[in-house]
Amino acid sequence: MNRLHPLSAVTYAVQYGFLWLWLPVFLVLVLSGVFDPVSPAWFPVAAPIGFLFGTLYGVVYYYRFGYAVTTDTVDVSSGVVARRSREIPYGRIQNVDIRQSVFQRLLELATVSIETAGGGTTEATLYFVSEEEANRLQREIRRRTAEAKGRRRERTRQRRQSADSATASDEPTEDAAVDADAERAGDDAPSPSVDDETGEREPPADPEQTFEPDSPTYSRKQRLFDLAPRELLLYSFTSFRPAAVAAVLFVFFLATESILEFFVAASQPFGGPADLDTGNTGSYGILTIVSAIISVLVTYLLSVAYTFATYYDFQLGRVGDDFVYERGLLQRYSGSIPAEKVQSVTVTDNPVQRLIEYAGLWVETAGYGPESNGGSQSAVPLAQQGRVYTFTENLTDVETPTFRSPPPVARRRYLVRYSLVAAAFVAVAFGVAYTTPLENWYFAAVVFLAVPLAAHLRYVHIAYYVGEDHIVIRSGFWRRRTTVVPYYRVQTVSVRRSIFQRRLGIASVVVDTASSRSFFWSSTTIYDIDLEDARAVQRTSRKRLQSSLRERAEADDIGISVDFT
Amino acid sequence: MESLNTRIRYLWIAQWVILAAVFGIALAAVDQWIVPVPTAVLGGVVAFAVLLGAAYAIRLYQVWQFELQSDALYLERGVITFVETAVPFVRVQHVDTQFGPIERALGLSSVVVYTAGSRNADVRIPGLTPDRARELQDTLRDLAVESETEDAV
Repeated sequence: MNRLHPLSAVTYAVQYGFLWLWLPVFLVLVLSGVFDPVSPAWFPVAAPIGFLFGTLYGVVYYYRFGYAVTTDTVDVSSGVVARRSREIPYGRIQNVDIRQSVFQRLLELATVSIETAGGGTTEATLYFVSEEEANRLQREIRRRTAEAKGRRRERTRQRRQSADSATASDEPTEDAAVDADAERAGDDAPSPSVDDETGEREPPADPEQTFEPDSPTYSRKQRLFDLAPRELLLYSFTSFRPAAVAAVLFVFFLATESILEFFVAASQPFGGPADLDTGNTGSYGILTIVSAIISVLVTYLLSVAYTFATYYDFQLGRVGDDFVYERGLLQRYSGSIPAEKVQSVTVTDNPVQRLIEYAGLWVETAGYGPESNGGSQSAVPLAQQGRVYTFTENLTDVETPTFRSPPPVARRRYLVRYSLVAAAFVAVAFGVAYTTPLENWYFAAVVFLAVPLAAHLRYVHIAYYVGEDHIVIRSGFWRRRTTVVPYYRVQTVSVRRSIFQRRLGIASVVVDTASSRSFFWSSTTIYDIDLEDARAVQRTSRKRLQSSLRERAEADDIGISVDFT
Repeated sequence: MESLNTRIRYLWIAQWVILAAVFGIALAAVDQWIVPVPTAVLGGVVAFAVLLGAAYAIRLYQVWQFELQSDALYLERGVITFVETAVPFVRVQHVDTQFGPIERALGLSSVVVYTAGSRNADVRIPGLTPDRARELQDTLRDLAVESETEDAV
């Protein structure tokens, strides 16, 4: 194990010294308020003791920090009382960064950080080593990573040779592959007709026009999808952006008084109060209704305008292996979606869009770096459902799914759940009625009427399909998502059962992929299916992950078909 | 299926005791500044928290199991929500062994397996003896290196 540069002991000592200075100060401050024997007069003693211990800790930290470059891994161990020893295989290392601050450059020092895929944090930071050592490390790790890659290729080649010589044992998988091919061929057959239709509706998407040699974008950028004005308008009017609510609230807080005056003025023709202070229950009620209608309308119009400006003139194209998009009215945005980083593809629609049979397509990518932060990007904001499904099938090679539903017992679960929500709502109404002059709180019980409908709608929109190469997961009523995850993108598979689910013999399957959207979109989950089915999904995903990885290694391609149109 | 070391129960109980103590201090602060809280209530609440924690810890120990299967690390755990997770070796990014102050005092160590996923991105197997943890880390590392593919993501 190697140690860091001796000077880093000094930095650590100073850093921890000042950090720990605050610990006893804070403790004394809190405890003196609660317990009498502790007094704030202890500060002058407590602070230096904290600093001293911090300094000592920093020095010990330096002595207990070690790193080593071994044959298979980079090892880093750290910690004084709590210890952590980490081994990072070369094959997983994405990059090795060397950073130098001005101070470090003067002293010929450098900070080395080693990163692997996934997760936002740096996996190992050597703070700090000498410049010479940093360069040596970077060289060494790069050399060994290249070696690991070479070994990997060698192994793949050997495996392929052994597979060629022993085809008899692989027969079952081959059969499956043939089946999948047959299905895909079946899918391919109807697609040209759809493409013809597309060509008529969307002149720019016509491949002939794009491949005209005169075109400046020839061989450089292939246009795949343009958002037609009709689609843009439909998208603007049928989708809602929560950001609009935030904007309206912000404006309301900025100019509360003038807005209230406006509400009063607007409600007067309908029998609202003359001003905010004079009025009876009836006129206040009218004021409330009029203000609510105006607020909802303004928020909606703002959302429409926002969507319109954001997706104005949306274009999706292809350059090499990347998808590129451009959008925006006031400000043009453009970005790229690297095809080999695509993790999953999601078709979204809301009730209105389902009614007019339109849907959107989102692509989830992973990986990070200065340019690509990962996350989900819109590939097709809105288009006719059939067209979106064709896009999805071409993009992922997914078989046409035949969905399965959770057992009816799941619906009972939602019935209970939503009843509890309704009961809570009534309880809140009761509380409000109790503390304010409002009466008739029991009218709130009307929400119970919506419970069976809500439970049913949630139930019917949950579906899943376990295919040959992909797993397709659908859920949600207000914003329904149908996510296609190729098995070779699966990270972990979990079967989860809460105490309530255990009672009903059902389980949820969480299929995790390497994407960064978890904060806004919950990770892809099949909700409330029979425990046996859930375990079968887990088994199948694991098995097909292995077989698809083998196939990919043999085929040596990037896996995602970029023949989009 | 392999169970955790029995001493892990003491670690979890100790964590609950610390939590209960913090809660007790918060209650004492409420007593001092906001509304008087009878000492009996304070003691009762803290004792209840400790008992609940102990029951939880013992149950968690009973259900916690893991296994190295042919293609993946398989774990079962959870008291309220029971979770069965499979972490394919191909997806293992790197492996840590870790131990905190209480674990150290109990002679325990944890293995933490990291994947590139967004949820369950780090899978922790607590309550191993340091030797077992070291051994498991080595095994997992070897399996991860062996099953490497072009793209880990």
